[in-house]
Amino acid sequence: MSSAPDLHAMNWLIRKLESIASLSEVERQAIESLPVRIHKLNVRQDIVRDGDKPSHCCLIIDGWACRYKLLSQGKRQILSFHIPGDILDLQSLHVPTMDYSLGTLTKATVAFIPHESLRKLTARHPGIAAILWRDTLIDAGIFREWLVSMGRRSAFEHVAHLFCELYLKLQAVGLAGNYRCSLPVTQADLADALGLTPVHINRVLQEMRGKTLITLRSSTLVIEAWNELLRVSEFDPTYLHLEKRATG
Amino acid sequence: MTLRLQPVQVATGSYDVDGQLVFTNGFLAAVLVKLSGYHDDMAGMWFLEAGFGWVDTPTRPTFADLDAAQAWIEQQLAQAA
Repeated sequence: MSSAPDLHAMNWLIRKLESIASLSEVERQAIESLPVRIHKLNVRQDIVRDGDKPSHCCLIIDGWACRYKLLSQGKRQILSFHIPGDILDLQSLHVPTMDYSLGTLTKATVAFIPHESLRKLTARHPGIAAILWRDTLIDAGIFREWLVSMGRRSAFEHVAHLFCELYLKLQAVGLAGNYRCSLPVTQADLADALGLTPVHINRVLQEMRGKTLITLRSSTLVIEAWNELLRVSEFDPTYLHLEKRATG
Repeated sequence: MTLRLQPVQVATGSYDVDGQLVFTNGFLAAVLVKLSGYHDDMAGMWFLEAGFGWVDTPTRPTFADLDAAQAWIEQQLAQAA
């Protein structure tokens, strides 16, 4: 399958990048011209594996995916959740060997962008290089925040923190509003992401429902008490570095 | 190795309160809790609420019944030998 520009795919990337920085018209057009290969994937399908040396970066256009690592006996740690607009493995441009795996959490559509094309793009447009660098730095900030949650937040606070983070990330790319968003992940996925057991996740969700903080049904999360969730998890959105979008 | 079970009510802060203390040679090795109806598919299963020493694993398994739970606990304790 050959690579060709895909406006629809690149619009997602542009939307994501514009949520963390501004792009000039020239830069937008340059990104729109990137050649890509579109693939449709099933749920729980690996995209790239720990140890692989990919020659392209993977951009999500539809669906959710995650970075994860597997230890013996099927012990899985989900390292981050990803939504449309996210490039899952930008680091592979500069760090050739994957130290984690990428997999879908839902049916998904992804766009593979050849490293060669990204290198040409960033060489011609240092502004885009800077934004991509910024994206990887924000990624690192999210890992730091997850570390704090893993080490120091209670299960309840941890889940609350994650819900706040996911809502804001989805809202930034136009996938959430009015305190509702899609949350198509299982309790096992949440458990593997937060270093908790599915039993604890279940208990926390029951407690949150009981206190009318959230409703979570058919993969839709409704946050009923946003301020309370922020307060309980000591959520400070600074680490997401989301720019206020001009067009609301 | 024989494990001794002692029923106990556990203040998990959830609806799961029926538990069993699991002793080995007079030492408390684990606390099991029965999962209530709120856990859907897992309702009625036994959950490793707490484990000590070799039974203290980051992954907390659930078991279909107390026999399966005890078998697993014994397996963990055997590693200490």
